Amino acid sequence: MKTLKIKLALILLLSISVHAESVEALVKKLKLFPASKAMVQWERVFKSERKMKRYKIANLSMQDRERLEEYLINHAIDSDTPTVAGEI
Amino acid sequence: MYKKILFGALLAALSTQSVNAQEQATSIEDLQKEITALKEELKSYSKKQKENRQDIEDLYDYTEKTETLVLQDKLKLSLGYKVNMDNFSKKLADGTEVRNNSVFSSKFMLNIKADIAENMKFYTRFSMYKYWGNGRVHQYSSYDNMQGRVPSVSTLFVERAYFDWFLNREGKLPFALTIGRLPTSDGPSQQFKANTTRKGTYSALLYDGASDGIVGTINLSKVTNYDGTYLRLGYAKGYLYTEQSPYVTNAFIGTDNKNLKDTDVYGIFLDTKFFGMKRSLIQLSYSKMFNVIANQLDPNSKQNTNLGDFSMYGAMLELNDIKETGLDLFTHFGYSQAYPNGNSYANFGSLLSNANETDQKNGYAVWVGTRYALDKKKTVKLGAEYNHGSKNWTSLTQGAFDFYNKLSTRGDAYEAYLIYEINRNADIRIGYLTIDYKYSKSAWFVGESQEIANLTTKDVDRVDSFYLKMSINY
Repeated sequence: MKTLKIKLALILLLSISVHAESVEALVKKLKLFPASKAMVQWERVFKSERKMKRYKIANLSMQDRERLEEYLINHAIDSDTPTVAGEI
Repeated sequence: MYKKILFGALLAALSTQSVNAQEQATSIEDLQKEITALKEELKSYSKKQKENRQDIEDLYDYTEKTETLVLQDKLKLSLGYKVNMDNFSKKLADGTEVRNNSVFSSKFMLNIKADIAENMKFYTRFSMYKYWGNGRVHQYSSYDNMQGRVPSVSTLFVERAYFDWFLNREGKLPFALTIGRLPTSDGPSQQFKANTTRKGTYSALLYDGASDGIVGTINLSKVTNYDGTYLRLGYAKGYLYTEQSPYVTNAFIGTDNKNLKDTDVYGIFLDTKFFGMKRSLIQLSYSKMFNVIANQLDPNSKQNTNLGDFSMYGAMLELNDIKETGLDLFTHFGYSQAYPNGNSYANFGSLLSNANETDQKNGYAVWVGTRYALDKKKTVKLGAEYNHGSKNWTSLTQGAFDFYNKLSTRGDAYEAYLIYEINRNADIRIGYLTIDYKYSKSAWFVGESQEIANLTTKDVDRVDSFYLKMSINY
């Protein structure tokens, strides 16, 4: 039990230092709108160098590209969206 | 001599002039050629432009045709499907045991969304939830909050049907009215285990089931400068008294039963983010239910009665994908208070009490859980949950998706599971759940709870369940 607690604390500590810039901040900086495309369309963007240049994604590190792709696909217009009463 | 020089100079001047004239004539000719070529080019360009314009017009026609088709699609459909295989054993208070190695069940959900107007959206969820090879009506599936929520017949129930009406969207205090059969089921933090996004409004420790009502949502994000801050004021009809007279068949509503009052629920809820973390949720709530009805399905019985009032307090915190590490954590707390009025339903007793008792009954519950993605692509997730409920803990979770309504447990429940995503829209979950009931009548409003250890009845003492579930959400 004690070992588990220590492991959990380590994961938490690690989690705090992993990414300097959140993916949300990256999306904002690049002026991207996840809901402007469907999941397949975002996938297409990340498969084309020309399109990545257009969206200024090409210059990002591979890690940031992967984070961004995951985020944009997860928040695409046809993605699984939350269902909550009256949220604007 | 002088004459000769003059003649020579004149000759030289004349010859230079003629060369210049010849050069000029050549350059004019070239220029004319260039002009002709340019004219030709221009002609071909304007021809091309005409063709392009025609193409654009054709393209516009095609786009408009596509747009017309899109605009005709007023309803956006999506589906959900869950197949469950449960292997469980139940130990009863009398020492006997019940086992079943293969309880198969399926839940089908058809979701419909419609953008009625820029300031109005409509949502519906039809549900069918049944055991395999069994068409028997579940005795509780007629309860309003459990329709489509507990395994029963293959009928489609309307689990949700409501609209959001947005007002003052651009103002400092945007406001929304949500009216109809509300999204009061599958709330936070059930989405971790279900491997979906948040699918309900309220903490699943307190509320899980269908309900009809009105919710006013005030978006406080602009005023507080804190994204995702919402204040909700809600009203729901817990029970509407109707009586079907055998003599006047159309007089279904409006009879004058003096013994039964409608059950009404009022609530206030605050949602916000944890220190501005976008993927987090804090929810604080208070709700009160007036005139709790003893049995919704027994309106004509003279023994049926209102048992008193009931209130619930809730607080929860949820952290999703903390710092993008794939770690999710959540904790919920619930506190319930029952105010019995002394009325008794048949010989079952009063609100969490024996007949004629009017002492207030308080209960509490906690629910904590975590989930961690084991791989970079987050296709494999390991999760664990624990919840504890005290002797008088009572919740409105009778419509919970799991067979045992584990969050209503008066005792302890442990669950561990592993999720594997087959593809973007489908996953498999394998898990183990064990519930140790310390007190009887979990999730029941009628009668006093008793310590299981002192009973020799058919009350459930312990449940162990291994399960395998597959879900499709598309």
